[in-house]
Amino acid sequence: MRISWMIGGAQGTGIDTSANIFGKVVSTLGYYIYGNREYHSNIKGRHSYFTLTISDKKVRSIPEKADILVSFDAETVLQHFNEIKGYIIYNEGVKGTKVETVQSMESEVAERISKQLESENLPKTVEGALESAKRRGVKLIPVNYDEIAKKVAEEAKVQLSVVERVKNVIGIAVSTKLLGINEEHLAKVAGSTFKQELYRKLNVMAIKKAYELTESVYSLPKLEGAPERYLLDGNTAVAIGKIYGGLRFQSYYPITPASDESMYIEAHQEVLMEDPKTGDKKKGAVVVVQAEDELAAVNMAVGAALTGIRSSTATSGPGFSLMVEGIGWAGMNEVPVVITYYIRGGPSTGLPTRTSQADLLFSLFAGHGEFPKIVVASGTHDEAFKDAVLTLNLAERYQTPVIHLVEKTLANSYTTVPKQDLGVGQLYADRGKLILSPPEDYARFQFTDDGVSPRAPLGKALMYYTGDEHNEYGFISEDPVNRNIIYEKRMKKLELADKEIPEEERVKVYGNVNSENVVITWGAPTGVFMDILEETKLDFALLQLRMFSPFPSRFVSKFLQGRKRIIAAEGNYLAQAGKIVKMNTGIEATNYILKWNGRPFLRDEVEEALRNVIEKDVKKVMLSGGS
Amino acid sequence: MAGHKFHWNDWCPGCGNFGILSAEQQAITELGITNNTVIVGGIGCSGKLSQYTRIPVSGVHTLHGRAIPFAVGIKLANPSLEVIVNGGDGDLLGIGAGHFVSVGRRNVDIVVILHNNGVYGLTKGQAAPTLFRGMKTKSLPRPNINDAINPVTLALASGYTFVARAYAYDVPHLKEIIKQAIKHKGLAFVDILQPCPTYNDINTKEWYDKRVYKMQDMDPVVKSESEMQEKLKKAIDKSYEWGERIPIGIFYKNELVPTYEERIKTSAPSYYDNYPAEQKIEYEKKLTTIIDPLLEERKVAEDN
Ligand SMILES: Cc1ncc(C[n+]2csc(CCOP(=O)(O)OP(=O)(O)O)c2C)c(N)n1
Ligand code: SF4
Repeated sequence: MRISWMIGGAQGTGIDTSANIFGKVVSTLGYYIYGNREYHSNIKGRHSYFTLTISDKKVRSIPEKADILVSFDAETVLQHFNEIKGYIIYNEGVKGTKVETVQSMESEVAERISKQLESENLPKTVEGALESAKRRGVKLIPVNYDEIAKKVAEEAKVQLSVVERVKNVIGIAVSTKLLGINEEHLAKVAGSTFKQELYRKLNVMAIKKAYELTESVYSLPKLEGAPERYLLDGNTAVAIGKIYGGLRFQSYYPITPASDESMYIEAHQEVLMEDPKTGDKKKGAVVVVQAEDELAAVNMAVGAALTGIRSSTATSGPGFSLMVEGIGWAGMNEVPVVITYYIRGGPSTGLPTRTSQADLLFSLFAGHGEFPKIVVASGTHDEAFKDAVLTLNLAERYQTPVIHLVEKTLANSYTTVPKQDLGVGQLYADRGKLILSPPEDYARFQFTDDGVSPRAPLGKALMYYTGDEHNEYGFISEDPVNRNIIYEKRMKKLELADKEIPEEERVKVYGNVNSENVVITWGAPTGVFMDILEETKLDFALLQLRMFSPFPSRFVSKFLQGRKRIIAAEGNYLAQAGKIVKMNTGIEATNYILKWNGRPFLRDEVEEALRNVIEKDVKKVMLSGGS
Repeated sequence: MAGHKFHWNDWCPGCGNFGILSAEQQAITELGITNNTVIVGGIGCSGKLSQYTRIPVSGVHTLHGRAIPFAVGIKLANPSLEVIVNGGDGDLLGIGAGHFVSVGRRNVDIVVILHNNGVYGLTKGQAAPTLFRGMKTKSLPRPNINDAINPVTLALASGYTFVARAYAYDVPHLKEIIKQAIKHKGLAFVDILQPCPTYNDINTKEWYDKRVYKMQDMDPVVKSESEMQEKLKKAIDKSYEWGERIPIGIFYKNELVPTYEERIKTSAPSYYDNYPAEQKIEYEKKLTTIIDPLLEERKVAEDN
């Protein structure tokens, strides 16, 4: 069972709150949800929308066409009427609105819609758009929001302006009625978002009136025996993961879509630690600094890490560009630091609030000179949580910067994660060669067989660091012989990591492992392919790349050997992961499914593309779904 | 400490940096804080100071302009350390100007020492932010086209709570100033007039020797909230004195402004009792942080 629901409206008019209430209503009935948020780089006024998939099984994607659209304004209908297959709930009051008068809509979009309506011989208005949808079989549900609000106000004997705040619940109510969810359940969940009794009462009244408008067509009974789950978005998953993993310093400079992570950590800055042996509990602080810029952010994190603590920063493309020099310093000085890299549309400020996978090569090759760097990419919410701990472990074990890639889609989408998927209690801390009582003649960069030196916290021993080439003690040295040895020592750590980190952890395989078709993907699109594997009979193996450095060359190379089709599927133009695969294995992709319009991979467009690739051997598909 | 003892110092003979190094070492030794002092340098001749110490203190030679953020990270993670930044005027006031100003808003309890030589020493004498317009030092192809920044005024305007100036060749005085800066609770700045005999042939030792004088009439210490404004104004006024006579000494000292560390404590009361570098985040590989309440907030349950 899979139903998809969409709500849209001007940013700042309660779309988020409405989507949250709706998400809560269905998830507390026992359903899994996966919701994606799309918005402009703007605070108020521009169109934003939420798409939510509801399923009785785990779900990790949104389709191309939604079953139900909830809209209040004209723009939402105009933006999405082509993407709806079931019901459009719309505001009767905006029927007459002409396309050309919707100022907030981008001119390209308005033109496209006008042309389409013209070609269908329909008026260039909301009514025309609705008619177009109706011709395709979509059912229209008009709602007179103002009328309902007026009635509620009269009955409750309050001013109309007071009822304004509960207006959003009307659209939600019509959709929950369609879904067959009972009125009381909605009232209870919606009511819990209001503290004041008056608003709760108004809510109940508005819901009642909205429920009279339509008939139930779906039926979502309460699911029995649903497991314990958490509602997590990617930003929060990483933030909680970092706190759990023992992060004690985070610096950042505000940037979408990274800031939410740091702000969450700051809001939960004081943490409780329990000594598992004695059971003693102790409070401690996580220092979170909003730095003056990304240069400061990364270097503060590196400075903090020198004291032996777990430290990180979070940013996105423009900020990462500024951090590169600092990351090089960390590489040269073997400092464990995690940089969570939220990828959004570039180049430059690009599409600041939209998704992308185009920074993969940049993250991998960032920095002048050569130094070891670990690059991990999470695909799903539970991975994002676990990888937050993993990256902190890897950074300390190999004493090197670790870049954790999370795209905007993963950061801003939310889903219900079963408790056991998070692995709380099983995750561990690997602090590598951290030593708290260093010897008298301590040399920070002491040569060892595996290239990793014992690491003492700054302040516990005498030690020297420099970004210049240095000797074992950390003193500047340009001696060619020393240069050879210490350079190799640093680089060797990556070989050690390659030997030690199981390849199976760096790459995951799903589907028919013997299939002649292999889809190679990474990051958020992974979830879309997982859903397709579960829901269709399409024959393919899915290879999810989780670590790009050290790259699991042997595994991937063996896995790809002799396959008929190797399909690189990713959110960029160059097929960057495909290039990395070729670089490491010599094996080149044969087919491509690529997307770079700033919107996430949508389940149905991907399924269609995959069919075309597998059944008709189409070489390259450019995905263009999303509005 | 084999590597330590034999390290070569590659400053030019006669460089003002020697005086600064010597005064800084004496100050640290006399205060008895060698064990927990960290010197953080930028890039440039000045920044290398962190590599040249002959006393047992740790040194972190960072990136051009970024010594302050490194120092802030170190200090906030482990407030028990004494953290001293050394940078040139290119470093702290050119590429690092944003950090120099921003750290003033935070009043982190560290010391920032400016090796003020008017030139970019290590890249061979280009004009630095404290060089006056029209000056033509020997390596400049043309007279300097930019106006100069006044570091003392800038520090005062940025919120530094201890602001002083000293002269690299008056080591005893400089040492006292550095000691005061270290002892100060809050962010301290010391502008050090540093001759660069190799590239700055205008502001030479002879030039400075004639001009510097110790301020006698200045009472820089803020003793009550009501005095803050007035003392700051006086300090700013004094900071503009430059030319035939150049004042050295303390311009301003104010311990009434809460430090950044104290500010953290208001939102995380356990900060000092269990600061980040002291925390036990694991026990025999087991993670110790309890996240149940955070997950509880996210729990999907019918009754929420
Ligand atoms: C990002 C960056 N840009 C440029 C340089 C080159 N560089 C090295 S030292 C220096 C100038 C140093 O001048 P200053 O900070 O005044 O210190 P001084 O050498 O005079 O003590 C520059 C620009 C660098 N190391 N890093
Ligand atoms: S160039 Fe100037 S600042 Fe640098 S070491 Fe030589 S004299 Fe000192």
